[in-house]
Amino acid sequence: MKKIMKININDKDFNVQESVTVQGLIDVLKLDIKSTAVAVNKEIISKNSYTEFRLKENDKVDLVSIAPGG
Amino acid sequence: MDDDASNNNGLMDDGLKIGKYTFKSRLIVGTGKYPDFQTMKDSAVASGAEIITVAVRRIDFNAKDNMLSYIDLDRFTLLPNTAGCYTAEDAVNTLRLTRELGVFRTDLVKLEVIGDAKTLYPDNEELLKAAKILVKEGFTVMPYMMDDPVLAKKLEDVGCPVVMPLASPIGSGLGIRNPYNIKIIKETVSVPVIVDAGVGTASDACKTMELGVDGILINTAIAGANNPVGMAVAMERAVKAGRLAYLSGRIPMKLYAQASTQMEGIVF
Repeated sequence: MKKIMKININDKDFNVQESVTVQGLIDVLKLDIKSTAVAVNKEIISKNSYTEFRLKENDKVDLVSIAPGG
Repeated sequence: MDDDASNNNGLMDDGLKIGKYTFKSRLIVGTGKYPDFQTMKDSAVASGAEIITVAVRRIDFNAKDNMLSYIDLDRFTLLPNTAGCYTAEDAVNTLRLTRELGVFRTDLVKLEVIGDAKTLYPDNEELLKAAKILVKEGFTVMPYMMDDPVLAKKLEDVGCPVVMPLASPIGSGLGIRNPYNIKIIKETVSVPVIVDAGVGTASDACKTMELGVDGILINTAIAGANNPVGMAVAMERAVKAGRLAYLSGRIPMKLYAQASTQMEGIVF
């Protein structure tokens, strides 16, 4: 059985598969990769490393996109 | 107004140059505060703008609608802003995030570092600090700034290819509170000047362009109008009219009347 871990995404707690990659998270959440940027513990993750970068327990993840603004 | 008519009179508008980019439209519009995304889209199209500003925010997983599905990325250049950032560090990090967002096809960024929540006036020191860092990192930095000619020169000196002084506080609709400073800024820097914030209605936009500035950035005046699409059209015409009036050269003001009808041949 796969282990799960708790991470924080955009200020909300989520249970995800242990050691999930950033790419894995994007896939699970069905996000459009072109319009999504990712920071983990305030460090910006380059798109090139989404498939290698593995998340750890209690990581704080920011998933960002565009929003209305002036 | 007809672009061709003005071109035929030798007053061809060579467009708005921002660093290595050139745009035909001198109007930039924001995407905030619209009643819905469809009105945002229709207004942006009606304004004739080629650049639209957007914010960078955490994804709202409960959102019913996706803003991006209303934006034609082949038509509009998306300009990310740093609204809500109060330090150079936050503004720089926000814009670094945009490098990972495929929707931004240029390195144009609107830098704002707010110093006060009530007036939304920018923090000069933090703005200059952030501008230096971002220019070094290769961004084409468009700084939202006070109507301060000294600061405008400093921002030009650190490599900003445009400066964007406010006309009056963001969303206030007060129009240009200090047209003389805007004129002095235009004479002080050699980079284009885009007036950002404070324009309330079409006459404000027209008067602003008549000062000789290179462009205007408008959000609230369009988004908050009773009919945003109608106001977008009005702004598009006002910006063009103001530009053409500037290029054509207005008459000097005189205290007394000067007859426009000749006196020769008068009968009685």
